[in-house]
Amino acid sequence: MTNKKEVLLEIKDLEIQGYSDETWVDIIKGVDLTLHRGEVLGLIGESGAGKSTIGAAAMGYARDGTRISNGSIEFDGMELTTASESEKRALRGHRIAYVAQSAAASFNPSHKLIDQYSEAPLQYRLKKRTEAQEDAMELYEKLRLPNPQEIGFRYPHQVSGGQLQRAMTAMAMSCKPDLIIFDEPTTALDVTTQIEVLAAIRDIVDEYNTAAIYITHDLAVVAQMADTIKVLLKGEEVEEAPTKEMLDSPKEDYTKSLWAVRSFKRDQKERPKDGTPLISVRNVDASYTGGDKVLDDVSFDVYEGMTVAVVGESGSGKSTTARVITGLLPPSKGEVLFKGEPFPPDYRNRTKDQLRQCQMIYQMADTALNPKVKIAEIIGRPAQFYSGLSGAALKNRVDELLDLIELEPSKYYNRYPPELSGGQKQRIGIARALAAEPTFIVCDEVTSALDQLVAEGILKLLDRLQKELNLAYMFITHDLATVRSIADEVVVMQHGKVVEQGPKTKMFTPPHHPYTDLLLSSVPEMDPEWLTTLLEERGVDNVGDAATAQIDPNDPKISG
Amino acid sequence: MSWFVIIYYTLLLGTSCLAAFFNKRQIFLVAFGLTLVSFILGIIGGPAALKAVAICAALLGLAAMVSYAFREFLIQIASDEMGKELRTAPMTAAFGMFVMFTYAVMGVFAPWIAPHGEAEVIASAFAPPDQNMLLGADQLGRDMFSRIIYGARNSVGLALAATIAAFVLGALAGLLAATKGGWFDQFMGRVADVIMSIPSLIFALLMLSIFGPHIHVIIIAVAVIYAPRVFRLTRAVAGNVVVMDYIEAAKLRGEGTWYLIRREILPNSTAPLVAEFGLEFCFVFLLVAGLSFLGLGIQPPTADWGSMVRENATLISFGDITPLIPAAAIALLTVGVNFVVDWMLHRSSGLKE
Repeated sequence: MTNKKEVLLEIKDLEIQGYSDETWVDIIKGVDLTLHRGEVLGLIGESGAGKSTIGAAAMGYARDGTRISNGSIEFDGMELTTASESEKRALRGHRIAYVAQSAAASFNPSHKLIDQYSEAPLQYRLKKRTEAQEDAMELYEKLRLPNPQEIGFRYPHQVSGGQLQRAMTAMAMSCKPDLIIFDEPTTALDVTTQIEVLAAIRDIVDEYNTAAIYITHDLAVVAQMADTIKVLLKGEEVEEAPTKEMLDSPKEDYTKSLWAVRSFKRDQKERPKDGTPLISVRNVDASYTGGDKVLDDVSFDVYEGMTVAVVGESGSGKSTTARVITGLLPPSKGEVLFKGEPFPPDYRNRTKDQLRQCQMIYQMADTALNPKVKIAEIIGRPAQFYSGLSGAALKNRVDELLDLIELEPSKYYNRYPPELSGGQKQRIGIARALAAEPTFIVCDEVTSALDQLVAEGILKLLDRLQKELNLAYMFITHDLATVRSIADEVVVMQHGKVVEQGPKTKMFTPPHHPYTDLLLSSVPEMDPEWLTTLLEERGVDNVGDAATAQIDPNDPKISG
Repeated sequence: MSWFVIIYYTLLLGTSCLAAFFNKRQIFLVAFGLTLVSFILGIIGGPAALKAVAICAALLGLAAMVSYAFREFLIQIASDEMGKELRTAPMTAAFGMFVMFTYAVMGVFAPWIAPHGEAEVIASAFAPPDQNMLLGADQLGRDMFSRIIYGARNSVGLALAATIAAFVLGALAGLLAATKGGWFDQFMGRVADVIMSIPSLIFALLMLSIFGPHIHVIIIAVAVIYAPRVFRLTRAVAGNVVVMDYIEAAKLRGEGTWYLIRREILPNSTAPLVAEFGLEFCFVFLLVAGLSFLGLGIQPPTADWGSMVRENATLISFGDITPLIPAAAIALLTVGVNFVVDWMLHRSSGLKE
């Protein structure tokens, strides 16, 4: 449908190399890309596929340690690979703009939003300061930011993550560029806030007829945004097709496998009729030193061999609950029972055996594994510490554990964490937890930092381990797709309170608590019309924070 | 016009033209810049100035060649992994390593290298250099060259011992403070503040005049003075490591403080600590030399570079460079160590992903 329009950006046979281990390695191996005015192109692929590198190259920019080695990048008749630095600089911000993944990290914390907005128009002498500010307010209003007249005069830390991401989009629009590159703009956001950002971006791109490259690894998101989708794998193009066609009939096997990711499901287990729960959280209140209550009367049970998913937005107290159970944060009220016996509230007072029973797997495998310690010791230490293994017995145990997580022992035994990929690191984290032979494992957002395919592998592994070793999981996540695939029971948390809990099947069938309902309906679906339909149903102003605020406190489901 | 001047300009112009022809921009700029400067120098200073320039250039070239060869030598004898690291070393770092190597050999094999004994009087006071004495004699008629060599052993050895002591004290306290936190951290921090608030030289003089100028007193006094700096750095570095998830995982496993420090925190803070070690070594070395200069450091007749500067200081007013030789020995080592430290600092900051 966009073929008749004028070509804005044309990348031909682009090759980019990165410097590592004293040699230049190909990162992008000959990618072609054509973008017309007003068209939105979705770039998807797992991390390391070169999405962001291509996005930066579209501005004629090669990141530190990379170089454009071959090919041409033509932006509106201008060749960027041979253009001088000052010519390219004149384009950036003015005709090509960039929206980064983490708005919180990309805004300068010591300048007001509106000053950062007007920086580019002033630099290019397009507008006077007051004009630029009026412009900003108008855009803020279009992006449905609250108090558009006033919000620009706040500092970045004074607005929420979703608002900041929209302010960043406004900043990118400040010079009415021809092309905007969105680099995973909603990946760091909760599902409920993600919607408002998506809706805002889509409207604004439509209104100004701006072309955009939308980089993401979330298929459902890209389906809402893009006219055309291009799939990348390891620096090479897999296929490109209009969104509808791509979703309905993917051609390549790799694309099909991406589409199939969300199909993993397993049977839901029932609670044993009688018997004590393995872990029982009873009326727990908790707060960090001197602060407000973060947890308010939280109670739930985890039975042996079952998976309890704890869901909620960020700040709802999910991770704090985990800290209370592991003993890092002693509760101010209430207690944690293990097989009916009270667990000492502080981990320092727990016995070795009590510590062994309850292990943890972390969200960021990068920070959870000591980069200077060999894999063999990371995994071997708990076995040595709890079971007193040493020498050949210890080595056998480590080999066994590496086998268990589907990594070949001889290959990984002597390596260090930074040499592994994200998925492999997460597997090592799992092996470390298993080495202690626990009965209960807290999984804190274990898949949220991973690509869908890799995450799928981790979930399958966790499921298999649960069957083999009869483990109980407390699965903290904000991704409801993960909950659907792995949970037996679900606990929904909001503002430190448990708003609803029960078996998974019951939780996913209406009637819901209004908050659960909001969470469920906010998860993007693969249907390209999903966002449009949702916005029509809810009304444009009723997304994100607004929707949360509108929950009726007198709803019968809340008290019941 | 002497042959020297003709050859001098021919060489410079030839190099400039060749560099320009082969498009070596930097070499051309240096060579031709030097030619232009030489015109002016030649007019003002005559052939003597040009000779000085030529000697300086030759010395620099010599140092560069030695550094290059020494680096290649290290790469050859080191293991593959080490060799890879060494390849990243700039020429300055190689030069620094060569200086340190030379001083180490000098210190360890002093009795075999030095032609005369440390306290052996062999000539009249301030005798000029001859075939027997490479650098002449000092104020008591002892061989200057031999004393410089023995001085490497005494001065460097003492500074090294004091630095190691300061590091053991400071790093241990810093790591403990970072892991334990709470009142222990506060207490150690205030102790460090108190020590740092006393001027270091005055503190050292005080300690030495109370306990007498013995070697072990010097080492302990210097260690106490420098430990707070190490403490602060270690605490800051370890503070960044302590908040990582892997430390939490180890704590939840029930590991003791000693294991946490040794296996989890220390490996992640070695790079800045090693760099700091090099820097502190220079400071300690200068402090020890300063103490010797004031007469409270290493006591005669033991050779020590600091006191050698003081003892021969009167000669400077007669235009003799003898007192500057031990000073130059100190300066060379300090510069060399700093070159190596710069490289390590660069590496430790560059390795951060």
